[in-house]
Amino acid sequence: MICPGCSCLCDDVHIKEGKVFNACRRGEGIFSKYKENRAVARVDGREVDADTAIEKAVEILKDSKNPAIYGLDTTVVEAQKLAIDVAEKLNGYIDDNSSFCLGELVEAVLKGEVPTATLDDVRDNAYVLVYWGTNPYHSLSRHMSKYTYYPRGKKRPRGYDEDRFLVVVDVRKSETAVLAKKNAKFIRVDDDAELVDSFIKVIDGRAAKYAKEAGMVINEMKKADFNVIFGGLGLKYGLKDLNKFKEMVKKLNEVAKVYFIPAGFHGNMRGFNETLFERVGYVNRYSFRDGRSDEEFSFTELLKNEKIDTALIIGTDPVYSLPFEVSSKLGKIKTIVVDPRMSFTARIADVVIPSAVSGLEAGGTMVRSDGIRVKLEPLEEREVNDVYILSRIKEGL
Amino acid sequence: MALNPMDIYKLLPKTNCKKCGEATCMSFAFKLLNREKKLEDCKPLYEDKKYERQRKKLEEMLKPLEEATETGLIVDESLCTGCGNCVVVCPVHVEKDPKGAAIGNGPTIDDPILRVEDGVVRVVNMKACRRYGKNRILCVVCRENCPSDAIRFLEG
Repeated sequence: MICPGCSCLCDDVHIKEGKVFNACRRGEGIFSKYKENRAVARVDGREVDADTAIEKAVEILKDSKNPAIYGLDTTVVEAQKLAIDVAEKLNGYIDDNSSFCLGELVEAVLKGEVPTATLDDVRDNAYVLVYWGTNPYHSLSRHMSKYTYYPRGKKRPRGYDEDRFLVVVDVRKSETAVLAKKNAKFIRVDDDAELVDSFIKVIDGRAAKYAKEAGMVINEMKKADFNVIFGGLGLKYGLKDLNKFKEMVKKLNEVAKVYFIPAGFHGNMRGFNETLFERVGYVNRYSFRDGRSDEEFSFTELLKNEKIDTALIIGTDPVYSLPFEVSSKLGKIKTIVVDPRMSFTARIADVVIPSAVSGLEAGGTMVRSDGIRVKLEPLEEREVNDVYILSRIKEGL
Repeated sequence: MALNPMDIYKLLPKTNCKKCGEATCMSFAFKLLNREKKLEDCKPLYEDKKYERQRKKLEEMLKPLEEATETGLIVDESLCTGCGNCVVVCPVHVEKDPKGAAIGNGPTIDDPILRVEDGVVRVVNMKACRRYGKNRILCVVCRENCPSDAIRFLEG
């Protein structure tokens, strides 16, 4: 089975005699608890049937002047396509969590500004692995053991023992940094931009703050024809200007072969970025009315500045995940929640449409963090899933 | 916390009385740690009242010995996140399961030493471990690559 827990989309998970095998703690939680705390169809706090809730949602969306669609990172590509259709029909805004997650990094990859590779190539070929501003131990537990540092690959038969070199860049000694022992380097930085700068300067033969560390990593990179940098949120928020980083990757490629892969995120965040990119040329925070993407069209900004009157929230829980000053504004607008769980947002929503858990109760396609499309293998098929609900809403409009 | 024979020795009577069958208290301490001897084998510790406080301390100290498997492995499931590093790095798995654990997947053999079950690591077949039995090798690869200290060995 495919685990939809995060963008690793592990394909070796199986359930036998009520036990979940091979999934990490987070993935296991999805498989063992998906029947708990399920959403029930509601309109203005009253319990109704799903069809009534969908009809009410269509009615609200029709009356809305400034609607936004938000979420979609945990659902399948097929549903994401329909959500984009709905946003287009409504002439509204569409955004997902990537606007404050790794959207920018995915955009750089999709636009071809940095060379990229697949995780399977990484397993078979990669020598230097740089984890920059990410702690996969917490966010993507099996990333290192399944795809990168630990497994033995075709060209790397001795795995982490001798055939890999691990570099961890972080502001603190994270659990991943603890693993950087033999054939490894932990670089503690105060400012990511200084390290980026150091890499560029070292290649040019100039003095720099992290010259020693950067020089060592570059020397290791020169030993192999396949090296990779995994960038996480620490890289995104540590740098004010991503262009400098892209320049660094380009420069590194003059002396060695270096690829870049966004570290990881929600199960199908990259799927949303790719789907929207194919349609409109932007990866997130898009306004169909203005025909462009901008910081001000991100869901959090729209909400904060009270630019929207209706929100269609699919598979995410902004009341739980966004700051109170932002999420509290949801109380002022009409909210429609499509979610398998009775999330905090569902509890305050005007309309709740219960859906199926993608990957367990609904099939479809998800996109792994490296861009590989993975077909889900659900345990069962529920009729009322995200695709069904969104196609009904699309027809209703 | 790691157990070491010196700490055990310090709490023993240190009289080398040989009642346990060992020549010295130090060798008894080593055998205690290897679980070849039991604390009860030290007769004076139980018979003489003046050793009572030391005995209680020792009993407390040797508690992890009971939790540990035959190879001295102690797994604290509450600390485990199920990353599977231990499963993939295990040299025995690499040899026996080249198409499974060795390349990063879950084990495909029926009797792996360790396996991630319900999101945490479980000991399945300790007998295959290189630390098992008389001709053991004190391998610590799984512990070395556990980022959360969920895996420990008696000796540290």
